[in-house]
Amino acid sequence: MAISIRDNFFLTSQEAQPPMVRNEHGHPSFTLTVDGKTLQAYEGQTILSVAIDNGISDIPNLCNDEKLEPTSACRMCLVHVEGAERPLPSCNTPAEPGMVVTTNSDELFHIRRTNLEMMLSDHNAYCQPPCQVDCPTHIDIPGYLELIAQGEMKEAARLVKEVLPFPFTLGLTCPAPCQKACRRTLVDEEIAICRMHGHAAETCLLDPPLPYVQDPPTGKKVAVVGGGPSGMTAAFYLAMRGHYCKIFDMQPQAGGMLRYGIPEYRLPKDMMDREFAQLWDMGIDFQANVKLGRDFTIDDLFAQGFDAVYLAIGCWTSNDLRVPGEDAEGVVNAIRYLGDKVEGKPVPVKDGDEVIVIGGGFTAFDCTRTSLRLGAKVHTMYRRGRTEMGATTEEVEDGEAEGTHLQLYVSQTRVVSENGRVTGVEFQRNKLGEPDASGRRRPVPVPGSEFVLNCDTVIPAIGQAVDTSVLDDASGIKWTKWKTIQTNPHNFMSDREGVFAGGDCQMGAKTIIEGVAQGKLNARSIHSYLMGEDMNEVARRLELEERRPDLFDIVPYKPVEPKVKMPMLPYEQREKSFGLIEMGYLKEQAQREASRCLQCACPAAGQCDLQKYSIEHGLADNRFHDGEPSDYHDYDLDLSHSFILRDPNKCINCTQCVRVCHDVIGPDCYGMFGKGFDTIVSTPFNVSLHDTDCVSCGACVQVCPTGSLMMAERELARYSFALDRCIFCGDCVEVCPHGALGETPNFELSFFNRFGEDVTLEKNDLANAPDYLVRQRLPRGKKALPVMSPLVRPLPARSIRD
Amino acid sequence: MPKFEQSHRLLRQNTDADVRSLSAYRGISGYAALEKALRELTPEQVNQQVIDAKLRGRGGAGRLAGEKWRIVRESEDEQKYVICNAYDADARSLAARTLLERNPHQVIEGILLAAYAVGATEAYLVTRSTTPEGATAVQQALQEATEANLVGRDILSTDFSCTINVLGVDIGFMGGEETVQMAVIKGRRGMPEQRPPFPAQYGLWDKPTAINSIETLVNVPGIIRDGAVAFASAGSASTGGTKILTIYASPGSEPTVVEVPFGASLGDILEHAGLHPTESDVRAIVVGGAEGGALPLSLLNTPYDFDPLEEAGAIVGSGIIEVLPSNTCMVSWARERSAYLSKESCGKCVPCRLGVKRITGILEGVVSDLGVNGDLDVLDEFAEYVPNGSLCGFGVQATNPLKTAKRYWPEHFTSHIQELQCPTGTCVPVRAHRFVTKHVLP
Ligand SMILES: Cc1cc2nc3c(=O)[nH]c(=O)nc-3n(C[C@H](O)[C@H](O)[C@H](O)COP(=O)(O)O)c2cc1C
Ligand code: SF4
Ligand code: SF4
Ligand code: SF4
Ligand code: FES
Repeated sequence: MAISIRDNFFLTSQEAQPPMVRNEHGHPSFTLTVDGKTLQAYEGQTILSVAIDNGISDIPNLCNDEKLEPTSACRMCLVHVEGAERPLPSCNTPAEPGMVVTTNSDELFHIRRTNLEMMLSDHNAYCQPPCQVDCPTHIDIPGYLELIAQGEMKEAARLVKEVLPFPFTLGLTCPAPCQKACRRTLVDEEIAICRMHGHAAETCLLDPPLPYVQDPPTGKKVAVVGGGPSGMTAAFYLAMRGHYCKIFDMQPQAGGMLRYGIPEYRLPKDMMDREFAQLWDMGIDFQANVKLGRDFTIDDLFAQGFDAVYLAIGCWTSNDLRVPGEDAEGVVNAIRYLGDKVEGKPVPVKDGDEVIVIGGGFTAFDCTRTSLRLGAKVHTMYRRGRTEMGATTEEVEDGEAEGTHLQLYVSQTRVVSENGRVTGVEFQRNKLGEPDASGRRRPVPVPGSEFVLNCDTVIPAIGQAVDTSVLDDASGIKWTKWKTIQTNPHNFMSDREGVFAGGDCQMGAKTIIEGVAQGKLNARSIHSYLMGEDMNEVARRLELEERRPDLFDIVPYKPVEPKVKMPMLPYEQREKSFGLIEMGYLKEQAQREASRCLQCACPAAGQCDLQKYSIEHGLADNRFHDGEPSDYHDYDLDLSHSFILRDPNKCINCTQCVRVCHDVIGPDCYGMFGKGFDTIVSTPFNVSLHDTDCVSCGACVQVCPTGSLMMAERELARYSFALDRCIFCGDCVEVCPHGALGETPNFELSFFNRFGEDVTLEKNDLANAPDYLVRQRLPRGKKALPVMSPLVRPLPARSIRD
Repeated sequence: MPKFEQSHRLLRQNTDADVRSLSAYRGISGYAALEKALRELTPEQVNQQVIDAKLRGRGGAGRLAGEKWRIVRESEDEQKYVICNAYDADARSLAARTLLERNPHQVIEGILLAAYAVGATEAYLVTRSTTPEGATAVQQALQEATEANLVGRDILSTDFSCTINVLGVDIGFMGGEETVQMAVIKGRRGMPEQRPPFPAQYGLWDKPTAINSIETLVNVPGIIRDGAVAFASAGSASTGGTKILTIYASPGSEPTVVEVPFGASLGDILEHAGLHPTESDVRAIVVGGAEGGALPLSLLNTPYDFDPLEEAGAIVGSGIIEVLPSNTCMVSWARERSAYLSKESCGKCVPCRLGVKRITGILEGVVSDLGVNGDLDVLDEFAEYVPNGSLCGFGVQATNPLKTAKRYWPEHFTSHIQELQCPTGTCVPVRAHRFVTKHVLP
């Protein structure tokens, strides 16, 4: 084991150095080697500034700013210097003649990565909410949970409706992919995100809010074919944009699979209709009992004066079992079975029957649990294991608790019948085979394991498909090889101009929320189409918006507080009852549950250096989860200052704010306090920033590499600036203590200011800027500045003390 | 066994004449070196004599004091400073305060010679305010020396002037670090600065500064007066002279202060202090203080000198030698050291502020029998990461206890992790949750 333990900092040798040459300004220069390249440097430069000057911009740095004396706290800029026994921080190490520097190596990457991991192990915040990323509609989840926690139910429902028109309905039916991403699971349990928006919407079901003010009518007309979740969503948002919409549906009532596929005990249809009523109030028309292909064609719609068509016809055909005997009497179509039950028509299952349901998805369990409620004895048969099931774990567990007999790894081989009537099904057991190319282990039948299960009814629920017969070749619509409607993947326009498609008929049978998400995106795309935008540009924009942001791991710290469980109807009361099984939260319960949200949203996301480097260094995990409370800090926020918001939880102790306030601006509001692990940058005696000598210049916010210091959003005061009277004396530049104005070589007002690089601040810019631009960074690298002699610093560090 | 008695040159034993007063110090030819230097030698010559004597810094790093001075002296700056580091970072070390109490004039003479050699006219002596005896003694001595025109303007009627300011502070372990002392003199929060640039080029108020340990400086008068050969007559081939050590027979015992020649073996030093450690009652010898390494008894013949100690995993550090009893669990010992250090870190740089804390957390997990085999790899990784990444010597040395505990007593770690029991039966659980890795993203 090599142990090197002494602080043997090397002293530079005093041997004669190669003579310095002087540049045209008489400044002595010399050369050194960085990453094998010979670079010219000037006396007094650091290695980092030489590297940046010469276009080497990949040395990470979190505590360095060219206005400030280096401090070398973050240890991100470490480089190898030949002859030094440890890596040295390039931000603070003077460049010297003949030095040989390496800026990248496995060792350096590892130290830098571990530095970041260390910072993130005590960084009680998060950049972007993973739940929002994973929600197909991208609801502002932390936002509405915070509103619910404050008791603002209607406002919470309004916020959700910005992207999802049916928060109540989805609150009961969504499989909640968001909850699988919830970071609260790292502390204890996920948050009941889905049920929360259901609760908020339920409180105002009779008086639902509009997400924002509806646009005045545009005179454009859109035909929506299919009144399911996707079609209704598209109609909702198109109507918000002022377009007239009419929904055509083959069923007698609106809702599509929501109405006809989801049993009453999961979603009471009268409540759902109340939520839908908002659409009719908005002026959307609904025509029932008309079917595309049978009663009308796409050409008819255009002939009636519609400007665009949205096809959301769903997947209404059940897949065949593809085994002998399946056309026997007693083999029931799953979708028709559920639909008939909803409509109160006679169904082929009665008390005391024995029913076999084949499949592991949502429909399979809806059929299972409906049959159970009808008093049947039910067997649910699935060919793979639990983890491969399409239905959620809760639903499977509930089904079993309600009494189904679940069998896994069984495949049907034949339907047994007598006199054309089903008497049973023969199954064969499966075992897991070798992993295939995709790494999944396919089930393979075990020979000789066949057995027959007797029954009165068989309900195959092994997937649905689109009814392709509704569109003929003349429609101009093309099908993909999976028999779904072919569209552009981002703007959803089909091969026929002005005809869009989304939902199950475009993506194959998926979840309700995915259909809603597509409805929302289609509304955006159709609106752009109606406004005459270039559809390629729309596709590009939507693709960018939907791109998944990079997330990484930060150790969360909050005291453990278990989930507030949804009160459920006891199992014994579910027998033969189609009453709603989720009894709903009380207001206090909802508030308590919503306040468990970690509020994983940081206004600095996207501009944060810590975030950028963490993504670059691939920090998908952290080794310091689940410690004791003493392993982490949970600081109070300081939001009392009018312009500057402080969140010490995000502070990495880089001391840039300390230095800029003391050395450049002067008031000296910040310092480092405490010792050891508990060291933190704060104000003297930890008073509010409001009570310090702060001059509200915002310099600390500009230098802060994280979201620890943020500018509060504010209206910019309008300064009138008469450009025609300015004589370019530069006095304003001279007196501003904060360097907000500067001089360009042409002696205009500055390019170097809060509004970002190379912005020339002119009268109009100032007057037109409605809001303070949050955290535009100063140019970091000198590279970004116009070429000038290294002797002339664009903004000399000044103290108002001198 | 070396003749320890003959190497009492710095520390006056209680049996020696009391040299605290100026007259008594003069009686043993005190200030003769200063007179000689000022009247007969140029600063270059004084510096050269210290270079020739190969006087190595006693503060821990063991760099050649003369070479450091040469850089300061050759600098073109007008203003230069000398700082005498008399702080005793490790509060359990008695070296600096004993020197100040028993031999303050020799310290002052050493500071003046350094100032003369490098061309400084202002010197500072930084010490701990928690032990006022030392500070009072040196201030009294300064008063006397100033009155006798040995400190201040035109010393001994030559054109050499030098003032000495005494600064008493109490800022924990970090107060002993050189750049911390310069920050404190400037009135800033005591936090280290990155080197290079070194204080010799860019020190107090950005001026060249010779900062030396009190133990280094107190040797200088003897070198100037008696010459390099006499100085090197005690000590080892690579390190001349003596070292003052504070010795603890057990972690809770009263300390003894001894002066020993460099190169004496650890066993001889302990015997000189009246200790006879045996395998049956002693687990380890900790050399170097809070950041020192623990060595097994089989290494008792290691010579006390910079390089052999470093090879064994220990350090000269704060000059403490401590004997750990045989019922010590070395995992628990490393954890205590790490917990202490994670509180003493100045909090500036990431690897030290957070790395040492995380090491402590992992060791707490192991001590509480929650450890897993993977913890050993993480400990090994962090034992290198913290020294490689840290800013100052504190972080560089902070993992010595861990490294030596793992190197010499690996079975203590495996006993806790694999058999879920403490090798000595002395550990009690200190935490209920161990750290776990979570892969949050696919
Ligand atoms: C954490 C830390 C604590 C230190 N404590 C002391 C101390 O108490 N006394 C001391 O003389 N040097 C101490 N040093 C070493 C000094 O920083 C510096 O190297 C020394 O004063 C230089 O003097 P020298 O060259 O005479 O050894 C310490 C270093 C570190 C990193
Ligand atoms: S400060 Fe940066 S790393 Fe921290 S939560 Fe905000 S964006 Fe993410
Ligand atoms: S608050 Fe200050 S010390 Fe903390 S990260 Fe921001 S600039 Fe750095
Ligand atoms: S190594 Fe530790 S003591 Fe030294 S600067 Fe870094 S945090 Fe401070
Ligand atoms: S240590 Fe160099 S940028 Fe932070």
